[in-house]
Amino acid sequence: MILIAGTLPIKDLPIITGKVEKNGADLIVEGNRFPCTQGTAALISAALATTSYLGTSPPYAVLAGDTGRGEGSSEIYRYLMENLPGTSPDVLVMHYILPDMVKMRSICEKADLCSKKPVMVADAASMYAAKAAGIVHRFDVFTPDAAELGFLADPEATHPAYIAHHLFEAENGHVPNLIETAYRQKSSPNLLLVKGQLDYIVREGKILETIGEPNVPSLEAIGGTGDTITGILAALLDAELEPHEAAVIAAKTNRMAGQFAEASPATKISQIIEHFPAVFAEYLCTWSGVCYIDYVK
Amino acid sequence: MAIFKQKKKGAFEGSGLVIFDDVPQAIHAEKVLKKAGYQVKLVAPPPALRKGCDLSVEINLVEQMGIKRLFSDQSLPYMEITPLREKTSGLLDIVSITDFGDAIMVKAGNMKISFDKSTGVILNTSGGGCPDIPYLHAELIDKRLPEAPRPKDIGFTLCALMADRAFEECLNIREGIE
Repeated sequence: MILIAGTLPIKDLPIITGKVEKNGADLIVEGNRFPCTQGTAALISAALATTSYLGTSPPYAVLAGDTGRGEGSSEIYRYLMENLPGTSPDVLVMHYILPDMVKMRSICEKADLCSKKPVMVADAASMYAAKAAGIVHRFDVFTPDAAELGFLADPEATHPAYIAHHLFEAENGHVPNLIETAYRQKSSPNLLLVKGQLDYIVREGKILETIGEPNVPSLEAIGGTGDTITGILAALLDAELEPHEAAVIAAKTNRMAGQFAEASPATKISQIIEHFPAVFAEYLCTWSGVCYIDYVK
Repeated sequence: MAIFKQKKKGAFEGSGLVIFDDVPQAIHAEKVLKKAGYQVKLVAPPPALRKGCDLSVEINLVEQMGIKRLFSDQSLPYMEITPLREKTSGLLDIVSITDFGDAIMVKAGNMKISFDKSTGVILNTSGGGCPDIPYLHAELIDKRLPEAPRPKDIGFTLCALMADRAFEECLNIREGIE
């Protein structure tokens, strides 16, 4: 089971937990309906599109409303500290949650108490919190973009807004150097999926694969395209693909869906996600080397 | 006797400091911040960061934009907000621009805003990771730049601060086009 923890941009929404359902264009958790927009909603929607195609269990979400003041984030931390060992997910994804170093360390301690330690994935501010708290090694997968990779490579920065200028300026041409620096400084978990013009799949500091095709430059402008990669990746990890294979397929799926959608800077993330089933139908068998799904169907 | 140096479990651990001119300012600011719901604590600033008085307020650095706005709204004086780690670089001020033909994307730090060249309508926001970023996304897109709310006025975090820098550059570019 995948547990996805993150906030929604809805003021005063109390904590809601449960399996995710889709109704039309909206997502539903515990009877609460919300749109698929940038952030954790996009991640959940991508994960759900993937699990639906694979026929695996839908994601379980722990969500709360938060528009930046941290109330919902505090509720999520509290819920996970109280319930994570009892829930014992196979994959835990920490996402848009206001960074709190002390609480993030507590979550990692609770993850150790699960019947089987979950595959730990962090993206967005949860990745910032893990790095700032010095507990990157407790996570299995990070999914930074190039700017966030510069942040991981900067030993002093506690947020990407404070990256050393030379690391930020280097982001486009020197991603491999940043990867090496982040790994050397123990700011990189076992697997990195670096999202950008070229996507880098990195294990233990070594670049296993780069993905640049199809090249859809507009994807960078579309809010949520990083979130969807993490969502697909989480669903594939839950289906027990090898992490680096899951990362490769996630990156390729996102790009191909962008091409299918004829993406422009005005495209909304929901318009990308709606093409995932068609991309899976056409390419998943080839990319994964496993055609079992088609056989079952 | 290292045990006495261990941090109390569950204690607040921020990554930023607010520096003040004098002790009463720091004490008053701590009360105001706590009343507003911020997790903060009074601390002595490390020697390298000691510019004003011997008391400062430790904050979650990510929340500095909301804290600055609160100080401004309540006319609370302070010297500066600074990262707790002394060797941290200054705030990023690098802005880059991508021209997509009909649209322009402005990137500041980890935040990007794209707008339509002919109408000035915000088409998308992307990047960032703090909880106010999906909220800003919802509030900004499909609005014309001059009428859209500024991230600095409705956001709270460092991601929102970077978004505001991108927004400001979008406004400048748009003025140049018109």
